[in-house]
Amino acid sequence: MAEKAFLSLTDVSKAFAGVQALDRVSIEIRPGEVVGLVGENGAGKSTLIRILAGVYRPDNGALLLDGRPLTLSSPREANLNGIGIVFQEQSLLPNLTVAENIYLGQEKEFSRLGVVSWPALHAAARRQLEKVQLNIDPAARTARLSFAERQMVELAKALALEERTERHLVILLDEPTSVLEQREIDILFERVRALRTRASFVFVSHRLDEVLHISDRVYVMKDGKVVAEMLASETTVPQLHRLMVGRELHAEYYREARQRIPGETKVIRAERLTVDGSYRNVDFTLRQGEILGIAGVIGSGREALTRTLFGFLPHTSGSLTVSGRPVRLSSPDQAAALGIGYIPRERRVEGLVLSLPIVPNITLASLATVMKTGAIQTKQEREVAENWVKKLHIRTPSIDALCLNLSGGNQQKVVLSKWMNAQSKILIFDHPTRGLDVGAKEEVYDLMRTLSEQGIAIVLTADTLEETIGLSHSIIVMRDGQVTARFDAPPGNKPKQIDLIGHMV
Amino acid sequence: MATWFENMPAPSTTLKKPNYGEQIRAFAPVLVLVGLVLVIGTLRPGFFNLESLIVTVADTAILFILGAGSTFVVMLGSIDLSIQAICSFASVIVALMLPTYGYGFLVAALVMGLLAGVVSGIFHVWLKIPSFIVTLATSGLLVSAALLMSHERAISIEESGRAYLTWVNGRLLGLPNVIWIAGLVAALGIWCQKYTPFGRYSIAIGAGEPATWASGVKVNRYKVLAFATSGALAALAGILMAGRQGSGSPNLADQLLLPAIASVIVGGTAITGGAGGIGRTAVGALIITIVRVGMTFIGVNIFAQQIVFGLVLILAVALTIDRSKIVIVK
Repeated sequence: MAEKAFLSLTDVSKAFAGVQALDRVSIEIRPGEVVGLVGENGAGKSTLIRILAGVYRPDNGALLLDGRPLTLSSPREANLNGIGIVFQEQSLLPNLTVAENIYLGQEKEFSRLGVVSWPALHAAARRQLEKVQLNIDPAARTARLSFAERQMVELAKALALEERTERHLVILLDEPTSVLEQREIDILFERVRALRTRASFVFVSHRLDEVLHISDRVYVMKDGKVVAEMLASETTVPQLHRLMVGRELHAEYYREARQRIPGETKVIRAERLTVDGSYRNVDFTLRQGEILGIAGVIGSGREALTRTLFGFLPHTSGSLTVSGRPVRLSSPDQAAALGIGYIPRERRVEGLVLSLPIVPNITLASLATVMKTGAIQTKQEREVAENWVKKLHIRTPSIDALCLNLSGGNQQKVVLSKWMNAQSKILIFDHPTRGLDVGAKEEVYDLMRTLSEQGIAIVLTADTLEETIGLSHSIIVMRDGQVTARFDAPPGNKPKQIDLIGHMV
Repeated sequence: MATWFENMPAPSTTLKKPNYGEQIRAFAPVLVLVGLVLVIGTLRPGFFNLESLIVTVADTAILFILGAGSTFVVMLGSIDLSIQAICSFASVIVALMLPTYGYGFLVAALVMGLLAGVVSGIFHVWLKIPSFIVTLATSGLLVSAALLMSHERAISIEESGRAYLTWVNGRLLGLPNVIWIAGLVAALGIWCQKYTPFGRYSIAIGAGEPATWASGVKVNRYKVLAFATSGALAALAGILMAGRQGSGSPNLADQLLLPAIASVIVGGTAITGGAGGIGRTAVGALIITIVRVGMTFIGVNIFAQQIVFGLVLILAVALTIDRSKIVIVK
């Protein structure tokens, strides 16, 4: 373990849109070790990985490889320096064969006069597959492989870098286990351990037990900083968790004092709600003024459930009752017509028409409110927009500014204005604070409390457990497509994260 | 956890100062038009003669109406390649039926255009077939129908029928009626764009369809409406052409597709959708007409003119497109 680092990041910073994603982060990677990287969503893990992979360039700080400064301006350059990545969302092209995927972009090495020698390519691919002990035909179409097999092919692809560089390899594993089953995870880990003679690994995961299981050393990140570095053998899951969260639940931060008892009227009732292949038999009720948090990891079905409530993913069985009416929402316009609004996780794609000004974005879901005798009343429309900009403190030089030019927090407020102007009675908040800085987050929390006080019912799928617990009146926990637990979360008596985690994994 | 792309940074946080480059780009078509008029006027002094200007504008009217309809489609980010077929077919309907059956067939021609657009639109949104393929197919269908109905030849409108079309060639307050009609189309189009949900959503869909859809807008309905508008206006253009030429023909508008689309794009409506408008198409149509006049003046063979329109189209797209926003072009 005393071996010297061969790859290190020193005082690396990176900011996006005014949000400090990384703040003077230093880490080092030594030959043959597995380095764990943990932190909540937004802690900066992904940004760090992307800098190592050559996708982003740091604003400040340096990458050192064998003591020499290194500039990575593309993933290809990272590859040539021995840094490979296994993506969380797999990057293989399903319509190509395994061998073609492994050597994508390097066919030249197997070609003569522009014609690829398939036997040579397949033999080389087989060599790579042997490294991960995957016994499949290199000529098989990737689409036919199981998810776990594809992950192994990705790993083999990363290991193929050995042939292109003299360097010791570093393989970045970005949430590789999030969609694997336990048996497949075991195999992956066994291979990773066996491959340590060939490469070092950086392992990113939100499953802390796994991180401790596979890593030699662990870095804990929080709010863009590395807050701790420790040997995996000398720490525990609860300890890591405390470091990641960094504070016990902060009542003030989530405006707990403003949490009121919800009304009696049930605005949504779901009974045995099911989307085949995503989740099944989900029961819940949502009352006026209630914030209902849905907790769960990727693949738990909570994202799909959220999408169902706004008509993106109609349920296949069970029943959904909105404001007393049984419905099946098969498109967003049906949901919107029932007074449901959706604050999407992909704000810049589904939330706003970025290249249009603030005004049309605010009235996009409620154009009828500013129309008279079949015509849009532009003066009235501008007043409406002006009013929301003032009310929600949207910081912009004018209501004619393009949404493109607003900061994330102000963009989010425009999305909220849109649904508030549409007088939505139910709002689906899908990761509402993603990518926002602390100040903007607090403004969103304030707004959510105000909406809740006004009797608006909210379904919340949050970035962090802390946020889910802090904001919600009640929480349902999902795992593998089913509800595994329900919690009340009254102010002053919130459930602990650890209680929820037990039902999530 | 985030997928690879979704946490991409915002392009800028600083609030932008007014971008003069962008403003110049927005007015570029008008500047080009003024420049061209001055050049032609200098080379051929007779051009500034009032009557000559009126004729030029009247010549533009039909091209503009053809382009105006497809402007909404282009604003969506789609394209309508069936306008010339609808236009020709409408002229055939009018030439065949008008003498016997009268005004009703003006309406019938318009309804045909509207329906052609609706059918294209429905196939486009329902089967999710790219608009250029659907409208190309519609176009083929209509061309064949027109050829069959007309027995593959131009049909001169009989005397009894021309009476129904005198309004096309008449004048009101010294201006040819086609100019008034084009003006009406322009005014209505601009009004629709500014004051109706159809206009607003067309731009919004073109600029950001997922967000528009996720705001509860019935996106498909407005797309079909755009194609319907395009079809109806193409049919109107066909009626006017029949009236001006006194005949209908299955290939009457064959040479108009390229200039019509060029009018839309040269005017500054982005081929990728989300920006532009009918007012711009009016400017674009005038530019195209002036270029045509200029070519005739220089002595470019009339059959070679499509080469120039093709080049102008490529150039206009190249100048107006915002490449920074386009990742992949297919």
